[in-house]
Amino acid sequence: MERKKINQVVISGEGDILEVRKTVRNEAAALGFGPTDITRIVTAASELARNVFRFAGDGVMLCAQLSADGRIGLELVFEDQGPGIENIGQAMERGFTTGGGLGLGLPGAKRLVDQMDIVSAPGQGTRVTVVKWRGSKAA
Amino acid sequence: MTGESISVNKIRDILLVTVPADPDDETISLLQEKILLAMERYEVKGLILDISTVEILDSFFARTIIETAQMVRLMGGRTVVAGMRAGVAITATQLGLVFGDLRTALDVDRALDMLRDAPSRR
Repeated sequence: MERKKINQVVISGEGDILEVRKTVRNEAAALGFGPTDITRIVTAASELARNVFRFAGDGVMLCAQLSADGRIGLELVFEDQGPGIENIGQAMERGFTTGGGLGLGLPGAKRLVDQMDIVSAPGQGTRVTVVKWRGSKAA
Repeated sequence: MTGESISVNKIRDILLVTVPADPDDETISLLQEKILLAMERYEVKGLILDISTVEILDSFFARTIIETAQMVRLMGGRTVVAGMRAGVAITATQLGLVFGDLRTALDVDRALDMLRDAPSRR
């Protein structure tokens, strides 16, 4: 699998969530994703960017193009040095929240993409990686 | 899209709000405040939220819409959300958003029809 970095957005304020959405929308469109998939990816990115802002205060989103077996994918990595997630299993449960939200962010974002990986520990920050393949079954 | 660009329009006995395509969180929160102040100021039956240009409805945006509808209801008014796009409906459902008894319409015309028979708040 080949990975080519194509963009990044520093998240340090609420307004950067909007910047993340714009960037992801442009990159997904450039890679040839259809309109519904673009809506899915951008919505997932919005949830994850808001988590970075809300829980860590700041962080970064890295955007990469993946190529594997003739397929094209978009990978988004959200990294922060925030408090980390104590119990990832619990954080993935629908309705579980420590941030006063709906508790849909992580589990909801997961349903909108093809793959999601979370690396986190208390005090170690959080890295959430999501991948959407073009023309995948969840399209 | 920043705060000053949204307007809450009173048309006869209805408030009509055209939600900008990609509002930031601040704009969304400001919109709620503007709507509630207008509900207080005018004798309107209710509110139509036109979201036909909105492409991204994430959980924060959705929660604000649901809460605003509830607040409008507490003030004796009705809310109809009009014009949700197909991609947004698909994504919102997959995301797990629950809109409860929030009333929706295909477009603003039909939303007006729905509110025509709503009781006056007077």
